[in-house]
Amino acid sequence: MDYIMHLSVLVGVYAILGLSLNLVVGYSGLLSLAHAAFYGVGAYGSAILMKDFGFSFLSAVVLSVLITMAVGVLIGLVLSKFDGDYYALASLGFSVIAFGVFLNWRDLTNGAFGIFGIPKPEIFGYKFLAGEPYAFLVLLAVIFTFLICYFVVNSSFGRVLKAIREDEKALQVFGYKTTLYKLAVFVISAGLAGFAGTLYGSYISFIDPGGFDDLVSVNLIVVVILGGLASLNGSLLGAAFFVLLPELLRFVGMPDSITGQMRQMIYGLGLIALMMYRPQGILGKFRL
Amino acid sequence: MIALEVKKMKKNFGGVKAVDGLSLKFEKGQITSLIGPNGAGKSTMVNLMTAMYPPDAGKMIVHGVTLEKWKSYNMPTYGVTRTFQDVRLFEQMSVLDNVLVVLTERGVFRSLFETHGELHLKQAEEILKRVDLWKKRDEKAEDLSYGQRKLLEIGRAVAMDADIYFFDEPFAGLFKEMVKTVVSILHELKNNGKTILLIEHNMDLIRELSDHVIVVDAGKFFAEGEASDVLARKDVVEAYLGE
Amino acid sequence: MIKRSAAPLYLFEYMFDIFPQLVVNSLIAGSIYALLAVSFNFIFSATRFFNLAHGSFAVIAAYAVFYFGRELGLPTFLAVGIGVLFAATSAILIDRFIFHPLKMRGGSPMILLVASLGVFTVINSIISMIFGSSFKTISNTIDKQYFELFGAAFTSVQLWIFILSLVVSIGFFIILEKTIFGKVVAAVSDDEEVSKIVGIDTDKVMAKVFFIGGGIAGLGGILAGFDTGVQPSLDMFFLLKAVIAAIIGGIGNPYGALLGAYLIGFLENFGIWVIPSEWKDTIAFVLLIVFLIFRPSGILKRK
Repeated sequence: MDYIMHLSVLVGVYAILGLSLNLVVGYSGLLSLAHAAFYGVGAYGSAILMKDFGFSFLSAVVLSVLITMAVGVLIGLVLSKFDGDYYALASLGFSVIAFGVFLNWRDLTNGAFGIFGIPKPEIFGYKFLAGEPYAFLVLLAVIFTFLICYFVVNSSFGRVLKAIREDEKALQVFGYKTTLYKLAVFVISAGLAGFAGTLYGSYISFIDPGGFDDLVSVNLIVVVILGGLASLNGSLLGAAFFVLLPELLRFVGMPDSITGQMRQMIYGLGLIALMMYRPQGILGKFRL
Repeated sequence: MIALEVKKMKKNFGGVKAVDGLSLKFEKGQITSLIGPNGAGKSTMVNLMTAMYPPDAGKMIVHGVTLEKWKSYNMPTYGVTRTFQDVRLFEQMSVLDNVLVVLTERGVFRSLFETHGELHLKQAEEILKRVDLWKKRDEKAEDLSYGQRKLLEIGRAVAMDADIYFFDEPFAGLFKEMVKTVVSILHELKNNGKTILLIEHNMDLIRELSDHVIVVDAGKFFAEGEASDVLARKDVVEAYLGE
Repeated sequence: MIKRSAAPLYLFEYMFDIFPQLVVNSLIAGSIYALLAVSFNFIFSATRFFNLAHGSFAVIAAYAVFYFGRELGLPTFLAVGIGVLFAATSAILIDRFIFHPLKMRGGSPMILLVASLGVFTVINSIISMIFGSSFKTISNTIDKQYFELFGAAFTSVQLWIFILSLVVSIGFFIILEKTIFGKVVAAVSDDEEVSKIVGIDTDKVMAKVFFIGGGIAGLGGILAGFDTGVQPSLDMFFLLKAVIAAIIGGIGNPYGALLGAYLIGFLENFGIWVIPSEWKDTIAFVLLIVFLIFRPSGILKRK
C-alpha cells in the first residue's frame, strides 16, 4: 500500500509537469525543451528557502514559484522571438544552462552533492509524511493544477493560443501581439513546473542536478506527446504511463538495473510510432 | 476623401524589385480593384499595406495619419483588415473558433477573464449565417471544401468590423452561388461606407464591382481609371497577355 | 578580471606561457567539433529539419570502436573504419525507415524533429543498456607520445585528431565543390522540387547525404572518444556542439560550420582563462542565444 502511495505521488508530480508543459507544447505549438529548468528552480528554490532560511513549506512554495516565474519571464522573453526548430533548440540550450547553474553554483546548490534533508511540509501544524498524507497533498495539487489549466485552455486566451499554434503571423494581422501571449503561457507553465519541483523536493527529501537536466526535459516532452497534445486528460495518461511503465516491466521480470532504460527505449519507439501513425498522441486533439 | 494612401513604396526580395516606387490612393466608401499580371506586385502591396513586413522605402497614410511602426498587429487599430490569397485559416480549429478568435478581447488579461462571451457568440452566429457556415460551426477548418474555406476567411474579415478591407482574390475557385454571396457582402460593406481594395483576375466581376481600377505591372504603376475605360485599353490588355 | 587590471610581470609571463597551450587545446576541440558541425550542416541543408539524433551517430561510432578496438582487440585503424561504417549505416537506415517515410506522409519539420527525438532516446537507451552509463576510454594501447611545440604539449593521439579532421574536412569540401555529386547535393539543398523535375533521384541523393554525414559525424565521435573517452550522454553534447557551431558559423554554409566549430573551440578554451572552468560548456550556449537573438543566420551567408 505504501508503495502504491509512493507511485501516486510520483504520478502526481509528473501530472503537474505534463499538464503545464502541454499548455506550451500542445495548445500553443511551441516545442519547449526547457521545462526541466523550471522543475529544478522550483525544487532548489523551496529546498534552499526551507533549509537555509527557515521558511515554512507554504511560504517556501509560494516564493519558489514566484522565483520560477521570474526566471520564466527572462527565458520566455528570449524564447518568444523564436518559433519551430529554433524555439526547440534555444529552449534546450536554456535547459543545459540551468543544469550548469545547478551543478556549478556550489555555494547555493551544493553542486553535484545535492541538497539533503529537505523538510516535509508542515501546514498549520500538520506534518505531511510520506504515504497517504503526502499522496493526498499531491492529489490536491494536481486538482489545483488541472483546474488552472482547464480555465486557461477554455478561455478566450486559450483560443488565442491555439490560433498562435496554427498560424501566428496570420493571427497578428487580426490585432494580436502574439509575443505577449507566448510569454504569458510560458510563465504560467513555468510556475506550475516549479510548483511540481517543490512537491518533489520535499517528498524525496534529496535533490541533485541530475534530476533536472536536459534529458528530463526530453522525457517530459515524450510524456506530453504520448499522452496527447492539447489534451489535459492526455497529460494525466502520459504521466501515469511514464511512472508506471518501469513498474510493469519489473513485474514481468525485467532486472531493476535496466527498467529505466527499457522505459526510455519503449518511449522512444512509441514516439517514433506515434509520429508515423498518430502524430497527435493517444488522446491528443492536434498534431504538430 | 482618401481613406488610405501609399507613397513611393519600394520592396526588394533578394534582388527582385517586387514593388518599385508605387504610389496609390484609395477613396473612402469605394471599391477599388488592383489588377495586373502575375508577379506584378499586387499581393506584395497588400502585404505591405497590412504591415506583414516593412517596406524598403515609402510611406503609408491611413485616415490622414502616417504609419510609424510597421507591425501587422497595429493594423486593426487603423481599421485595416484582409483576406489571404492562399487562405490562411486556423486549420485545426473549428469554424466557430476561427471567427470567435477575432471577436474576443485582445489583451492578455482581458482574454483570460473574458466577460462578453455570449455577445461574441451571437456576433459569430450572425456572421457565420451570412456566409452559410453556421451549420458547420463545429467542423475543423481544414475539413471544409475550398469554397467554404474562402467564405470562412471572408467571414473572419467581416467580423473585424474594419474600415478598410483588402480582399486578395476572394472569388478564385468559387462556385456561382458562393460568388453571389461574396458579391452581396461586398455591396453591403460598401453601403456601410467601408473602403475596399480588391485583387482579382475575373474581368467580369471587376467590371461589375469596381468604382475604380488601378493597373500595376512589374511593381510599378501602369494605369488607372474607370473599369470600362481601363479594361478596354490596348496597352493594358497587352500587359496582361504579354506575361 | 584580476588577471588583467594590475598585472605584475609574472602574470604577463604566465599568460604568455599558457597562450600556446590554449591555442593547441582550441585546435583540438575545434577539430572534433568541425567534423560534427560540418556533417550536421550537410544533412540539414539537404533535409531542412533539425535532426536531434545527429550526436547519436557520433556516439554509435565511438562505442563501436570501443567494442571492436578494446573488447575484441582489433587493430585501431580497423576499429575506426568499422566505427565510421556503423555510424554511416545507422544514419542511412534511420533515414530510410523513419525520416523518409515521414516526409512522404507529409510530416511537418516539427514532426520530423520530434521523431528524431524519439530516435535519440532509443539509441541512448540501447547504448546505455549494452555498455552501461559509466565513462569508458576507447583509446587502445596506442603509444602515447608526447610532443611539444612552442611550449604547448600535446599527444600523438591529439595530433592525429587534428590531422584527420583537417584531411577529412578538406576532402569533404573538395567533393562538395569539385565533383558532380557535390553539385547535385547543392541543387537538392537549394530546391528539392525543382531537382526532382530536372530528373535528379532525390531519394538516392538523400540516402547518400545521410551516409556521408553520418560517417563524418561518426569519425568526430571517435576522435572525441580518443581524446577524452565515451559515455552515452555524449550524444547530447555532440549534438549541441554541432548545432551551435553550424548556426553561429552560418547555417546552410559548409564553411560556416567549420568556422563556427573552431570559433567555439577557441572561445571555450580562451574563455576559461577568465571564467571558472566548470562554466566552459555554458559558453557555447550563451553564444548560441546571443546569435539567435541578433544574427540568427550566423556569420557566413547561406550558400
